[in-house]
Amino acid sequence: MTIDRYTCAEVFARLDDYLDRELDPAEVELVRQHLETCEKCSSEYRFEAGVRENLKTKLRRIEVPASLTAQVRAALADPGATDSE
Amino acid sequence: MFRHPARPGHEVAPRRSAGQFCRVSASTDVARPSLEALLLPVLDRAYSYALRLVRNRADAEDLVQEAALAAARGFSGFEQGTNFGAWYFRILTNCFYARHRRRETTADADLDEIPDLYLYERAADLGLHGTSPDPAGELLASIDRDQIDEALVSLPNEYRVVAALYFVQDFSYAEIADVVNVPVGTVRSRLHRARKLLQLRLWNVAREHGLVRGAPEGSP
Ligand SMILES: [Zn+2]
Repeated sequence: MTIDRYTCAEVFARLDDYLDRELDPAEVELVRQHLETCEKCSSEYRFEAGVRENLKTKLRRIEVPASLTAQVRAALADPGATDSE
Repeated sequence: MFRHPARPGHEVAPRRSAGQFCRVSASTDVARPSLEALLLPVLDRAYSYALRLVRNRADAEDLVQEAALAAARGFSGFEQGTNFGAWYFRILTNCFYARHRRRETTADADLDEIPDLYLYERAADLGLHGTSPDPAGELLASIDRDQIDEALVSLPNEYRVVAALYFVQDFSYAEIADVVNVPVGTVRSRLHRARKLLQLRLWNVAREHGLVRGAPEGSP
């Protein structure tokens, strides 16, 4: 089957969606094919993927303070008591 | 910060089997899980999210607490079997917006003037692309979590919300759309702009802290 190939611009327009796994499988395949043969786009892709990974790793979940958990439990047990603010 | 070895929320998780939740039908109130049983397991995520919306821990705690009370008042409106996390995050997001109603000055047009691939181009200026096996990692290596938080909190509200849900919670576009109550296409465009602005702000943070050697003066 001969299929259309994406241009660099078409790949760039889908780069976010590709990185975030929001593309449908047919489009994923077309982007993947382009990235295999285009050094410029694959360099941009690797960089953006690296930025995302770096930020997501550094922004990982922070454990809730025990005092907050206790406050929330107390508030839920008696919503009226702490709802004065 | 002190870290427990146990998984977050583990000790406070209710001692019930998962099947007990799954079999609950919308009409039977008898086996309906309590708000506490649903809320405590998502509290770590809620707090992490709130911390990226407001500037400090005290405000983040207030926001989580306020959202918990709002959830208690509206709990009868929660539909059993739907995503509780998304429901609570939506309430938390609304509480955040209610507190921070001020109009923002960053126009979409200004954001569109930020070039795409901002950090990629800066890495090119520094000559990283030909020489480093991981130009992104190298550029961001010296930027720590507090500085990323600083950049994230500096985003206009509606961009900050989607960026926090995306980077901190790892939500899909559909999940973010569900929380923010906008179409997926709106999430996509806000996220695109949020990323561009975040890249610009991160670059500025890196320069201000002298983290980038030989960095030229940036635009905007
Ligand atoms: Zn290309």
